Amino acid sequence: MGVTKEQVELSLKAKLNPSHLEVVDISGGCGASFVVEIVSEQFEGKRLLERHRMVNAALEEEMKQIHALSIKKAVTPEQWKQQQESNQSNPAA
Amino acid sequence: MATLNLSSLQALAFHRLSSSFPQSTPTLSFNFQPKPFANPRPISLKPYVSEKPRARVVALAVKSLGETEAVAVSPEDGQSAGELPSGSGVYAVYDTNGDVQFIGLSRNIAASVAAHWKSVPELCGSVKAGVVDEPDRETLTQAWKSWMEEYIKVSGKVPPGNESGNATWVRQPPKRKPDLRLTPGHHMQLTVPLENLIDALVKENKVVAFIKGPRSAPLCGFSQRVIAILENEGVDYESVNVLDEEYNYGLRETLKKYSNWPTFPQIFVDGELVGGCDILTSMYEKGELASLLKK
Repeated sequence: MGVTKEQVELSLKAKLNPSHLEVVDISGGCGASFVVEIVSEQFEGKRLLERHRMVNAALEEEMKQIHALSIKKAVTPEQWKQQQESNQSNPAA
Repeated sequence: MATLNLSSLQALAFHRLSSSFPQSTPTLSFNFQPKPFANPRPISLKPYVSEKPRARVVALAVKSLGETEAVAVSPEDGQSAGELPSGSGVYAVYDTNGDVQFIGLSRNIAASVAAHWKSVPELCGSVKAGVVDEPDRETLTQAWKSWMEEYIKVSGKVPPGNESGNATWVRQPPKRKPDLRLTPGHHMQLTVPLENLIDALVKENKVVAFIKGPRSAPLCGFSQRVIAILENEGVDYESVNVLDEEYNYGLRETLKKYSNWPTFPQIFVDGELVGGCDILTSMYEKGELASLLKK
């Protein structure tokens, strides 16, 4: 069997210590594919490219078997909090 | 008597021509007709009878050019003040001086006019549109011919945009750039390391996209998305097919080390990695990409 969602979650938790993590398995028959949303203090002061690199590095072993990895969100707890408040004040958004 | 007959025939011909233009002339011709002869009346009636069926046939296909009202085209964004039809038909483009520049036929008049405005906005002041309800090829062509003939009859010339050799108004097929190749072919031995070729490539070109598959038909959704974004931005960019094993042999592994990025597509701007599909999409949606490309 290939990479599982649980494996991805374990690796990200172990290496990036996220306060929020969501991994969605979107594999559609052409290899393992995942969508990731992750909140971590380790992203503080890092620009988007570096944050994605950190996620890629945390999944270095799994990446060998992953067909596609989509990182939809890589934010700090502060940014995450702001987004949550923004969503609550604009429920339609 | 022979002389009188010839002159009277010429006079009748003159009356017919003049009566087809201004409305005031029919009154004059009516006044003239009874005075010279009673006999010519039956002769003049026949041409009118024969003309009516033609007019009806033309009217069924499309309104005449002269009868159609012009719709102004906004100089700011090319949208018409009134609504141009998005159906099939014939259309005439006028410049801001009110001169006809081009008469065309289209399956989507509004889209064609929008494309013309994008291409030559200074020549698109207003548009007349004639919708053809049953748009088979022949009917469209007939409608186009009737407008062309009407214009030529009035102006004595062909619209500048319709002159042979004028390609301003013809829809140009988008010229797709070829993908770049890093080597002359698999059989050739490289004298320069591949990473040096990559380095030179991304630094000599403003935007380089390393994608899976050719630019004209990307082989994965992420590469497709990246190409769509770059096309929408209207930026001049180079593309490299990382799956091309003949001309880009070994590129995938070398590029992963060069960029410290494990997946494709990879997009470089000004010699630096911007990221993959996710980052490019994020920047595009926030307007950051447009800013970056303008530097």
